[in-house]
Amino acid sequence: MAKTYDAVIVGGGHNGLVCAAYLAKAGRNVLVLERRHVLGGAAVTEELYPGFKFSVCSYVVSLFRPHIIRELGLAEHGMELIPLECSFLPLPDGDSLCRWADHHETRREIARFSKKDAETYPEFGLAMTKMAYFVKTLIDSPAPDPTSLHPKQLAKLLRLGRRFKNLGPDLMHMHMQLLTMSALDFLDLWFESGVLKAPMSVSGIIGTFLGVRSPGTAYVLLHHYMGEIDGAFRSWGFSKGGTGRISEAIASAARSFGAEIRTETPVDRILVENAGASGVVLPNGDEIRARTVISAVDPHRTFLKMVGQEHLEPVFAAQIKRYKMRGSSAKVNLAVDRLPQFRCRTNGTAHLRGDIAIAPSIDYLERAYDEAKYGDFSSRPYMNVVIPSLVDPSVAPPGKHIVSCFVQYAPYDIKEGAAYWPQRREALGDAVVDTLAEYCPGLKESILFRQVLTPWDLEQEFGLTEGNIFHGELSLEQLLFQRPVAGWARYKTPIRNLWMCASGTHPGGGIMGAPGELAAKTMLESSAI
Amino acid sequence: MSARAQEARAQGARLYDAVVIGAGLNGLTAAAVLARAGRSVIVLERRPVVGGLAAGEEFHPGYQSVGLLHDTTGLLPEVVERLDLTRHGLRRAERPPSVFAASRADGGLLLHHDPDEAADELNRSCARDIEPYARFRAFVGRIKPIARRLFTDLPPDWLGKGLAALPALLSGGFALRRLGRIDMMELLRLGPMSVADGLDEQFENPLLKSALALPALLGCFAGPFSPGTNAALFRYELLAGGAVAGGGSSIVDALVGAARAAGVEIQTARTVTGMMVGADGVTGVVCDDGEPVHGKFVLSSCDPKITFSLLGAHPVSSVVVQGIRAYRMRGLTAKVNLALSKPLRFRCRPDLEVEFARTGQALPEMERAFDAAKYGRFSDTPVLDVHVPSVANSELAPVGHAVVSILVHGVPYDLAEGWSDARREALGNVVVSTLSSYAVDLDASIVAREVLTPLDIEERYAVTGGHVYHGEHALDQLLVRPARSCARYLTPIDGLYLCGSGSHPGGGITCAPGFIAANTIAKNRRRW
Repeated sequence: MAKTYDAVIVGGGHNGLVCAAYLAKAGRNVLVLERRHVLGGAAVTEELYPGFKFSVCSYVVSLFRPHIIRELGLAEHGMELIPLECSFLPLPDGDSLCRWADHHETRREIARFSKKDAETYPEFGLAMTKMAYFVKTLIDSPAPDPTSLHPKQLAKLLRLGRRFKNLGPDLMHMHMQLLTMSALDFLDLWFESGVLKAPMSVSGIIGTFLGVRSPGTAYVLLHHYMGEIDGAFRSWGFSKGGTGRISEAIASAARSFGAEIRTETPVDRILVENAGASGVVLPNGDEIRARTVISAVDPHRTFLKMVGQEHLEPVFAAQIKRYKMRGSSAKVNLAVDRLPQFRCRTNGTAHLRGDIAIAPSIDYLERAYDEAKYGDFSSRPYMNVVIPSLVDPSVAPPGKHIVSCFVQYAPYDIKEGAAYWPQRREALGDAVVDTLAEYCPGLKESILFRQVLTPWDLEQEFGLTEGNIFHGELSLEQLLFQRPVAGWARYKTPIRNLWMCASGTHPGGGIMGAPGELAAKTMLESSAI
Repeated sequence: MSARAQEARAQGARLYDAVVIGAGLNGLTAAAVLARAGRSVIVLERRPVVGGLAAGEEFHPGYQSVGLLHDTTGLLPEVVERLDLTRHGLRRAERPPSVFAASRADGGLLLHHDPDEAADELNRSCARDIEPYARFRAFVGRIKPIARRLFTDLPPDWLGKGLAALPALLSGGFALRRLGRIDMMELLRLGPMSVADGLDEQFENPLLKSALALPALLGCFAGPFSPGTNAALFRYELLAGGAVAGGGSSIVDALVGAARAAGVEIQTARTVTGMMVGADGVTGVVCDDGEPVHGKFVLSSCDPKITFSLLGAHPVSSVVVQGIRAYRMRGLTAKVNLALSKPLRFRCRPDLEVEFARTGQALPEMERAFDAAKYGRFSDTPVLDVHVPSVANSELAPVGHAVVSILVHGVPYDLAEGWSDARREALGNVVVSTLSSYAVDLDASIVAREVLTPLDIEERYAVTGGHVYHGEHALDQLLVRPARSCARYLTPIDGLYLCGSGSHPGGGITCAPGFIAANTIAKNRRRW
């Protein structure tokens, strides 16, 4: 008789692995099943071209919860983060703006465009950091439920209310503005220079199908002030050895606690018997039995594909269906035989050691969005480019480099239909390279290898429904107690013994590990496992 | 007797209890409410006519407009009741009017408010929407009784110090909770969404969606794809009641009647050029004729930016200055009045006598109309909110002729190349050609047209940015309106109150800001 596990986790992405590690650490008998040959989901390192180790999808880390690193001992398992040193904005006219970790240097840079903005910049950072502290309490615990009349929930809401009140009227008001305003309107309250506002506003649109003028995008600005590396607030970093190293470290920790992890083991469906999950079925018909099934794949895939609508209440099925997952971003990975030479700022390479934003103006960003709204990819997209090999030489052969381009907008539903993406893929790749080449002449000639991941590819290859990198849009109505759907925002699902633990649950996407951790802790606390 | 009263007495000038700046709907409402509470009130109006954005005027010999704003469905019933407006001649339909969603192809959709009546029409175009439409109306109907207080009560002081706002917040929270878990969650989910996402998940018929979406967009610097516009949609739907016969100008008439009956003095053609501010706050205003008008209180129904500019050199704390400066009033609405030699007929339904119509046809087309505005242009196919007041009131035009009132969405105040006579004409042409693409034989029947660009609106009505709602209806500006320091009508300057559309609960023909402001002051007995 086959073994019955305490829990089987569907999907070996970083959240699935974090969840597995916590459960195994608590003595549970856990099995993780990953469809691909490599663990990590969207947080993987792969050698796509000999000698070049690409962080294929996710490429920078900031929100990874430091206490998870501590509790799981991830540093001992090889996780190491290297802080990004700057944020570089090349401009078409040959000028550029570089924001450095050194505040004084940054102020001098900004002052070239606006003296007033240079004065305001630190003030802005301070206000954002204060608010980020408040938000941290939200992302480090399960979402509060405002409709519940349970004393514990009410007490939680009251505590939250008190903390909010403690921010004081100014920050309370600003918090409300952050939740509701557009990134651009919010930045307009502070700054005057478009050269500063354009690259700042884009952090509000990453992974969303919204423009910088769309209300609700201001909130994500805060994420840039929430990152913590080694306890230092507000830093982003590369994972040494590529993003996949993080997943490997978590997997290694999970194994050391006794978890079993299998790759190249796709799950066909989740076994539901008597309205409860009892295991999973593999494509060959094999069943793996478990007392609990935990899904680390996105909500659509979990319920509409793996559970099946026949097992869902119609109301819940409708809720899941209208959970919005419209992917809007693509990734282009380049292997190049020399360091890209930018037309501007030709001396030194320090400014290239952080992230490079192709966001020369607000109108540029809006035009990129307008094209996407009606079903095209942006002919001149917003891009966030990094050259990890400059900071971490272990990922590319000596003298050669990796150029990783996060691209927006590339809507999943292009007007010809999503399935048409393979025919448009290289055109998107060309648009990306052409755009970048306008700033780096000679780039095209230096390319040894190019990988273009359209939203359709992200869905096919990485199992992200509609190519949404966050397992569902991070819009206000899909956050907190409404993620993924109202009433089921605490990892539990209407199917008995079926739980969720990935980015489609609170607090959402990004390499932060929080959903996996909170799901595991919630299950352990409620003795569900 | 207070120092200021003595001072006024000494100068031999009359001291009013309240001086109201602006005789728009909110100024008149506030004045009438205060006068009925026994206060002496004077209203000062810059223009020769009263009514502000609701004032009807002759825009061409023999043709009367019904005011810049023409949708009267939002008029607060509490105001009608309190001020006895029915006795002063106000007549109002039982139910919101039917709206025609015009189409360039065949058919169009005459959208009735009542779902049973709507069923027949929907059945012709998209039967699958019948049930969702009934559900939508039922949902709004369930929320309405609870949401009412949003439009009639002082908003809770949730940003204030201490726990003062707690009772109001709790009672609001419990009222919401009484809706039931499902409705409450649904409301919280729908509010922040874009009107396109909200309508797309319910309905199929593009005409139905665009007709419902347009009122939410008027007053927003947004297209239907912008998140937060769904809140504006609910705001509109929750306020929607019967239309007033005769439009905004008959509300003005009734309000003037009620105000005068209560003893309010109304002076037109007197422009307030500044406020008198002493050690203990605002003591009155100065007019362009140099004459001061003394009051224990000044209520400004001007927009917040103009109101604070009237303080002149008087020092105001930087929090207030920044808050008011940050308040967004980017006008996106133009107005076109047409005088027609025959009734307006739509090609898709030529036999129908249309009183209210909306163009746009589909949400993406409406979004495109907004796109241009982002870059400082107006679209070639702007979205039109069309009202034909002469259908109900034949006196507005010569016999057989018609007056068409059009609010145009997607026309930026900040036109990249600046407004000029030529640009105004170009805008007029674009609006006429857009309407022509729907209407029968429009060009030939135009006797005259009046085109008001956002800049014209700013100049004629003295609203900053030409913003017809005195500030954008964005989520943040509906929650705290206009700024943190003066979100509850009271300003940090003693004796100065806001009572216009730039205050809670926002713009449009509702009379709500004036009503709540006056109630708040009437209760505040400290200074009387």
